[in-house]
Amino acid sequence: MEFVVNVLYSTLRVSTPLILAAMAGALSKQVNLLNIALEGLMLFGAFAGVVFAAQFGSTWMGLLAAAVLALALSAIFALFVIDLRVNLIVAGLAINILALGLTAYLLIVVFDTRGAFIPDNVVALPHWNIPFLKDVPVLGRILSGHGVLVYFSWFMVPVTSVILYKTPFGVHLRAIGEHKEAAQTAGISVRRVEYLSILLGGFLAGLAGAQLSIGDLALFTDNMTNGRGFIALAAVFFGNAAPGLTAIGCLLFGMFEALQFRVQVMTGLPPQLLQMMPYLIVVIILVIISFHKKQRRQAL
Amino acid sequence: MAYLELKGITKAFPGVLANQKVDLSVEKGTVHALVGENGAGKTTLMRILYGLYAADEGEIFLDGKQVNIRAPQDAIRLGIGMVHQEFQLVPSLTVTENIGLGMEISRGPWVDRKAMRRKVKELSEQYGLYVDPDRQVAELSVGVQQRVEILKLLYRQAQLLILDEPTAVLTPQEIDALFVVLNRLVASGHMVIFITHKLNEIMTLCSKATVLRRGVVAGTLNVADTNEMEITRLMMGQRVEIFHRQSAEISGKPVLEVSELSAVNDRGLLALKGINFNVRAGEILGIAGVEGNGQSELIEVVAGLRQSKGEVRLGGVDVSQATLRQRRQRGLALIPEDRRHQGLNLLGSIAENIGATRYFQSRFSHLGVQNHTELENAAAAGIREYQIKAESPDAPVSTLSGGNAQKVIIARELADEPILLVAAQPTRGLDVLSSQAVRKELARMKSEGVAVLLLSADLDEILSVCDRILVIFEGQIVGELSPAEASYERLGLLMAGHVAQKI
Amino acid sequence: MVLKTSASWGSQIFEISKMVLTLLVALLMGALVMQLSGKDSLQAYSALFSSALGDPSAIGNSLLAATPLIFTGLAAAIAFRAGVFNVGVEGSLYLGAFAAAWAGFTFTSLSGWLLIPLCILVAAAVGGAWSYIPGVMKARLAVDETVTTLLLNYVAILFTSYLVNYPFKVPGIANAMSAEVAPAGHLVRFMPGSQFNAGFLIALAAVAIIAFLMKRMNLGFEIRSVGDNPIFSRWMGMPTEKIIEKVMFISGLLGGVAGAVQVLGVHYRFAANFSPGFGFTGITIALLARNNPFGVLVAGLLFGVLRSGSSTMELFTDVPRDLIRVLEATVIFFAAMEISWNWLRRKRNGIRR
Repeated sequence: MEFVVNVLYSTLRVSTPLILAAMAGALSKQVNLLNIALEGLMLFGAFAGVVFAAQFGSTWMGLLAAAVLALALSAIFALFVIDLRVNLIVAGLAINILALGLTAYLLIVVFDTRGAFIPDNVVALPHWNIPFLKDVPVLGRILSGHGVLVYFSWFMVPVTSVILYKTPFGVHLRAIGEHKEAAQTAGISVRRVEYLSILLGGFLAGLAGAQLSIGDLALFTDNMTNGRGFIALAAVFFGNAAPGLTAIGCLLFGMFEALQFRVQVMTGLPPQLLQMMPYLIVVIILVIISFHKKQRRQAL
Repeated sequence: MAYLELKGITKAFPGVLANQKVDLSVEKGTVHALVGENGAGKTTLMRILYGLYAADEGEIFLDGKQVNIRAPQDAIRLGIGMVHQEFQLVPSLTVTENIGLGMEISRGPWVDRKAMRRKVKELSEQYGLYVDPDRQVAELSVGVQQRVEILKLLYRQAQLLILDEPTAVLTPQEIDALFVVLNRLVASGHMVIFITHKLNEIMTLCSKATVLRRGVVAGTLNVADTNEMEITRLMMGQRVEIFHRQSAEISGKPVLEVSELSAVNDRGLLALKGINFNVRAGEILGIAGVEGNGQSELIEVVAGLRQSKGEVRLGGVDVSQATLRQRRQRGLALIPEDRRHQGLNLLGSIAENIGATRYFQSRFSHLGVQNHTELENAAAAGIREYQIKAESPDAPVSTLSGGNAQKVIIARELADEPILLVAAQPTRGLDVLSSQAVRKELARMKSEGVAVLLLSADLDEILSVCDRILVIFEGQIVGELSPAEASYERLGLLMAGHVAQKI
Repeated sequence: MVLKTSASWGSQIFEISKMVLTLLVALLMGALVMQLSGKDSLQAYSALFSSALGDPSAIGNSLLAATPLIFTGLAAAIAFRAGVFNVGVEGSLYLGAFAAAWAGFTFTSLSGWLLIPLCILVAAAVGGAWSYIPGVMKARLAVDETVTTLLLNYVAILFTSYLVNYPFKVPGIANAMSAEVAPAGHLVRFMPGSQFNAGFLIALAAVAIIAFLMKRMNLGFEIRSVGDNPIFSRWMGMPTEKIIEKVMFISGLLGGVAGAVQVLGVHYRFAANFSPGFGFTGITIALLARNNPFGVLVAGLLFGVLRSGSSTMELFTDVPRDLIRVLEATVIFFAAMEISWNWLRRKRNGIRR
């Protein structure tokens, strides 16, 4: 029982950056500008979060900086992709490389440290013990006591869903993603919607990064995201960019992450094989979907 | 009284005068047909009216006031709406979302679904355009999608609706339903401009018809005072029919035999419905028809690039399952209809384009290594033989004019002594001299005993070179004529879906 | 693309000068970053270039750094040329590296003349087969190859890490590494004090072979044709699906050999997570080289210089070597921008009816 509670608690904790980034990915996929740069945006957000928290002595300032600076970086991505018509994947890879290089570079230049930055004046974002819920046996220990961004990420799932399906902006976004010409002839400003989707995604990816660096601890390490941006993308494909299902994918993949250390300790099962799962599952799903599409085409 | 008036509309594209001093006036409460052959300038004219093109000259008046339409948004504001041949609908959005797209009714930050659904319901009941406002467009049949398109215009308060060949994608029942709706629309004061090729539709639906021929208005008729013959004559023009040739008896063996051929198009609709014909050695068989009646699918099936039911025999051998390369090796040559995409690699050189079907033959390569000298020699020979105006075989094919580019295709396709040549719209967009050169090649092939299958929307071409003419309409062969019995009029009627017995 | 290999020298020089110009822009960008962060960019660059080109062993180290990049650049370039966006070279590199190491520590009794080719062959086969999978998925089922290759990279990286952590773990070594390749399987090193080895010659050979394949062979002709215009290629009767599968195999094969050469020439073992993104830098190089094999050679050498010089730069001027990544990102942006603009221009006017 203790084991299950622990795994579920940490599943929720480690899923949070995935969920926030995956919501950004869902927006970008639905507007048909798949954001490969999530990894870099998160990394940049994580870095900015801890650095500005240290600078101002306020974790909240760090959180704000993470969101704003990742948003600024996503503006560069948007500029190249939307206005300068650079290939989506290429631009995304470039942002990732830029974030990786720039954070490592600045870490050394500004803080004179390679590999990791652990400021001593920064505390992690507050954790909430939810009244009543925290006293419920089992459930209380799983659901209560998380950092604020954990709860925010849960909040963002329905919010993203509402944005996508209930607001004019969301309808326009999906229309552009599916049939750009139709959206154009209906008089929608395609460029504006595309920019907004990417910038909103940058904001969320910045928060995802902040969860990594100042959510539970207060430190930054080189390449701290370590592929989480791509796991988030995998979750987007898992959920076909629908927020709810995508979030479920994040929780599933988060559980793999939460399990891998414990399983290794307990059973000796290789953690690498568990880590592979999200990627393999998604590739298999993509093949199955395409296979069905092909069969349907040929059936006609 | 005329609500819409177009005066002296002229529009030129490089090398083509698409519209020349076109006048058109549409009265309130009428369906006005806009008729003409392919390339007569109908779509260009409507695109000008809808703000997609700018006219070089001419004026547009609405309700007596001159208007300036620079973009579709202007047209929409002025109450003009257009249903394009390719529907502009987003498949995963609901009917209501599609209809309101870009002009949503909102309450605070939210889309006010209830209000929008109510409005859609109102409009759909008012005009008999029955749709389920909550269904996804992807689940709807083409006919219902068209209703959504029309509702989209009405939602935007269009007074004048332009429908570009709206019946091309519909079943007969859907066509009937559409006509009921259109009649109800004009009864409530709307106007419809109805672009079509089909004569019976003009007769049953429209009150006036303006016929365009080669960018010029050939006449505007009161439908009540005219008949199908007159419209056809106006469409075709008073051409001197010099082509009445006595057809010589063709006794060659059948080279291409096609039986019970059926295939679906990219939208999943049945595009070929059991086609049968033969082409004999030394014969040019023409297939006439308005574009989009299954010709593209037919070529692809003969080429082996589209799945089909039925049998294709080439030189007596069943090739139904063969790949295109295997068919080419059996003597198939192809002049595809889309020169720029299917026929040429515009990024490649002339030599690469000419060698693209043969590079792997033993003459041109050994153990996978190409013999560039041979490839260039072959290209140079083609350039000489077909008098292609080019600097060298190395020159990029994109630097050639249309006529010379077509000659590159011909040089490639005729190089391997084919037994069957399939030529699709081989002179489209070419100038007179180049067209003549192409037709001369077709005749030469025939005289050398090659079977030629010519698909063309150009009746002059069909009448001047073919030994036998089939007419294709909605995926079926609806008539067979010898050049002696064929005339523009008869062909025109058949192509427009007029059943053969009535002629 | 013209048939003749003697393509005018003028245009070749033009291409190379554009490449150099892009790199100059990147260097300027790097200088800007350095100046803004209070570093002396001139000093840093002079340290970088003198340590990368200053003496024979420095040059050797630059060539060494260029070696894997030339392979991965070729791998990316040949796929891109066919219009297939293979971003999975990194995965092939990992699997190829492990396969080479495995052959090297398994068939220890073989002589060098047999062992080295065997290792490389096994690596090539494994790397090729790995990338053939998304190739088939694209050609037969139209699964987007960009997404699958991107995701499969991580599968390959994690799987090889598993292999050296579990089944092939060497007792007594703290880090996750395979056993050592038999000495017969080591590639010849050319100079003392540098790991510069015969792998570079294999890379040169690969450039020549791929250039020959692309310009002189039927498969190269087909690859270019499919990349230029897949619809045309289909109408000419080319087996476009098989061509895509083959090109993915070759691309992965080159990635596999890149891994083999790193193992046989530098590390003599397979170590988990050993690549600092060679496969991804290959994408940059292919973009910069416009998919031309000789261009890949030049661009690979340029990046080799940057990589090998950057460590010394860090040592002597305390400008972190991570600056190189900033340069790389800039190169990608500008090279990709130029490509997309050329493409648009060609689409607008090059095509006449």
